[in-house]
Amino acid sequence: MAASTIAIRPGARWRLPFSPWHLLLVPATIVLIFPFVWLLATSVETPAEALHFPPILLPHHLDFSNYPQALQAAPFGRFFLNSAIVAVTTVVSNLVLCSAAGYAFARYRFLGSGLMFVLIMTTLMVPFQVTMIPQYIITKWLGTNVLSAVGINHIGALIVPNAATAFGVFFLRQFFRTLPIEYEEAARVDGASRLTVLWRIVLPLSGPALSTLAALTFLDSWNNFLWPLIAINQTSKMTLPLGLATFQGAHSTEWTLLMAGNVMSLIPMMVIFFAAQRYFVRSVTATGLAGT
Amino acid sequence: MRVREQAAAWAFITPGVAVIGLFGVAPIVWSAILSFQRNNLFSSASPFVGVSNYRQMLHDPIVAQSIEHTLVYAALFVPGTMLVGLVLAVAMNRKIRFISVYRTAAYATMAISTISEALVFIWLFDPSYGIVNYLFSKVGVPQQQFLNSPSEALYVIVIMTIWGWTGFAVVVYLAALQGIPQVLTEAAAIDGASHWTRFRRITVPLLSPASLFLVVWLTINALQLFDEVYLSTQGGPLNSTTVLVYYLYQQAFGGQGNFNFGYASAIAYFLFVIILIVTAVQFRAGRRLVHYRS
Amino acid sequence: MKPRSFGTPLAAAMASVLFAFGLAACGSGQGSSSSSGLQIWEGYTGAEGTAFKHLLGEWNKAHPTEKVTSLYVNNDDSLPKLLTAIKGGSQPDIAYVYGSWAPNVAQIPQVVNLTKLVAQPDVNWTDFWVGERDVATVKGKVVGIPALVDNLAVVYNKKLFAQAGLQPPAANWTWSEFESDAQKLTDAAKKQFGTAYVTPGTEDTVWHWEALLWEAGGAILNSGNTKAAFDTSAGLQSLETLRTMAVTDKSMYLDPTDSEYANLFNSGKIGMLVTGPWDLSAFPNVKYGVQVMPSYPGTDGGHQTISGPDNWVIFNNGAKHVSAAENFLVWLTAAKQDTYFSLATGDLPIRKSVEDAPGFLQQMDKALPGVDTFVTNLNNVQQARPQLPTYPKISTILGNMIVSVLLGKSQPQAALASAAQQVNAALADGSGS
Repeated sequence: MAASTIAIRPGARWRLPFSPWHLLLVPATIVLIFPFVWLLATSVETPAEALHFPPILLPHHLDFSNYPQALQAAPFGRFFLNSAIVAVTTVVSNLVLCSAAGYAFARYRFLGSGLMFVLIMTTLMVPFQVTMIPQYIITKWLGTNVLSAVGINHIGALIVPNAATAFGVFFLRQFFRTLPIEYEEAARVDGASRLTVLWRIVLPLSGPALSTLAALTFLDSWNNFLWPLIAINQTSKMTLPLGLATFQGAHSTEWTLLMAGNVMSLIPMMVIFFAAQRYFVRSVTATGLAGT
Repeated sequence: MRVREQAAAWAFITPGVAVIGLFGVAPIVWSAILSFQRNNLFSSASPFVGVSNYRQMLHDPIVAQSIEHTLVYAALFVPGTMLVGLVLAVAMNRKIRFISVYRTAAYATMAISTISEALVFIWLFDPSYGIVNYLFSKVGVPQQQFLNSPSEALYVIVIMTIWGWTGFAVVVYLAALQGIPQVLTEAAAIDGASHWTRFRRITVPLLSPASLFLVVWLTINALQLFDEVYLSTQGGPLNSTTVLVYYLYQQAFGGQGNFNFGYASAIAYFLFVIILIVTAVQFRAGRRLVHYRS
Repeated sequence: MKPRSFGTPLAAAMASVLFAFGLAACGSGQGSSSSSGLQIWEGYTGAEGTAFKHLLGEWNKAHPTEKVTSLYVNNDDSLPKLLTAIKGGSQPDIAYVYGSWAPNVAQIPQVVNLTKLVAQPDVNWTDFWVGERDVATVKGKVVGIPALVDNLAVVYNKKLFAQAGLQPPAANWTWSEFESDAQKLTDAAKKQFGTAYVTPGTEDTVWHWEALLWEAGGAILNSGNTKAAFDTSAGLQSLETLRTMAVTDKSMYLDPTDSEYANLFNSGKIGMLVTGPWDLSAFPNVKYGVQVMPSYPGTDGGHQTISGPDNWVIFNNGAKHVSAAENFLVWLTAAKQDTYFSLATGDLPIRKSVEDAPGFLQQMDKALPGVDTFVTNLNNVQQARPQLPTYPKISTILGNMIVSVLLGKSQPQAALASAAQQVNAALADGSGS
């Protein structure tokens, strides 16, 4: 699958000075980033320019004042911190809990495994719009009777319901099944425990899947809107999406501030992607070596 | 299997299952009960009404339309997203210049907020001022009404959501492609297999677990489409983009059905059965078609 | 592969989870103190947000024992949040609630009946516009205090009128003048439209038409609210007006998303808009004028318009909270605070005495040109939409009727008949349950 094989293919009559894949990737990338161009452009426009239709993609002059203005409009430092605490904690707990459960579902044939897996999967199939009221009442009950830090109007309420997700279990189960089982069997014969096998053999081979799950979970948590909207009743506990919604008023939307806030909210997600992407690449070699 | 193994397996799944059970399964059981009630969100009384919510659903013409729109949408969105994702992932799975720029562009589609995405697509597909109609006029295609047309609006939403999910499909396929040992394809190359043959005979089968995952996950999400409709057409024009979850949300919180949460729950349960059947079929087919390396 | 220790990373992961809970727990300490004060959920941003915060600060300084904290909840998202909170027994003390929900909100057991409160002389209830009082009152019970009032009038682009050689609309103008102006303002080559209409089929689609229906002398329902009353010559006339512009003349830009029409007007692409005062601040780039709605000669509808007032609603969190919330709302909606809020935001005054105060209109108009016409236009609000729990359902039916005519999918006569039949069925169904 390496690009170099194209160049060494016997009988190739002509060669482009660059990889032909660029011919596909350049137009695709233009389509993919188009909304970001609009987002960035709006974030440096004057409100008058932002109220133009069709939109202006090249503002007359760059007005960066929207950024400090957006930051001052609400306690965004606090929102950012709240979002970061919720997202990081959710990612860590998902990696731990979903790897354990996903591994058991991938490799054990235990009593009730089929039923439990189906039950977990069903939680993906009922829209949140009808389960949010029961979830609210359960969360409120937990906060009152078990631990106040996970109750309504605490950021713990944004973490615990998503601390393990059916998505994560399903995703890792699928990926664990693609791994060669021989190493695990060999280690088992050598007397390693299941936990050791998971930790020392399976997880090191699952770099791409784990980093993908981490990035996706982070993203989900970072952009989550409806549940925080319902569960949080205090400005100081708000996450970024709730904070950004304050620019969308009943009668008017402050587009330039909204888009400046959106751009700032995108930055951590893009950083996560860059980090995860490096890890994808590194794990190629690891998996490649494992195959030999 | 031995008892110790059983215990170990349960120890592995219990923490995760506890969370999912409490915040996932319990609310689902709860809302199942609601679906047998006339549960007006404004009043405190919620009498049990048996299956009357379900019976009402059978006679609701908009439910029938919503089912059709939901299925048509999923049937186009799922394969469309997978195809776009696979092609781009294969293209990006190599060491060429600017590769991280390309990859980041794909991932970024996941990060953008739905409201920004919706606004851009509303503009692109505006009948009078949009870029798409402008391009159509350049190549002689007649001008389209897009979101103003009951027969076209749903397709615009398909395109919009494929765009939004491209990054997800690329991420999953890239991760899977990178899990494929190069020795396998290199050995085949030495045996004289062409690129296409190697792709079809080695890459596609080895990607099948990831494909199964994508089919299931994209279908589950497609059948529960809501955000893009809520933020663009609001179900219109003339209900042509009213999908099941949008309709049940309208029933519960939008007042179309006298705020009957019981009825909304009944529609959700009907949808649940559809999703369950489709997913079960996909898994069953997957068992035959998917190649696990074990 | 170098074997790694299992314990350390896991312990680190667990520690970070516990740390986050620790932070969450720390944060929770400050939350509990707010339970002694009042909480109000509102959706104000921008100038409205600043003015509202100013008023809150004023109140809190004067009433240290009855402090009010506000929580921003986008109005479009507020209903799911409010209803979920009520089901969980943790409703706010006061919430901003759309007027069209009032008949349903009246059924919530926790909603405080304000009938006695508004009878007190210092509230001066009759000083609120009649349209507001109608919407706050459900079957004789007052469930809210007016929070906002608006109405529809015609905003037109002065430059486009001059370019088309047209006189600006006069106060006594008619719908046939509107139609012919729209046609002359339309220029397909320049992608310029005479007017615009929103077509998602939501209440925003519907109330624009309801104004036309009333101007044509029609009514939505009969006087007992038991049967549809719009399938008449008035209904036909109003739908024909829309059809002529959307289908025959193609002088009407149809906005499928309810989001572009204002920006198009601001970009000089649309000649006239039927809209409310909230849009004026979105038109910084064009010189516009405001005129009252046109009339249909030969009917008794005149130049009347429609208003969509919203309410502050109090939820019962104990007698102490209720009485504090009542005191706060009476203060917030008094003439002094209303004057301040209107001048700071351009929102129409919710009290007639504020409009009548000397110099008020001029001050308003200086802050937001053209808004004075909207203020005086409140006198053209003669009726309210039916105050029925089934109204949202009726609105959905009417929305489909209007959109099907605008898109040329059905003829006005047939659309009216079919919608009337559905509305009658909805009314029969609603009264039965």
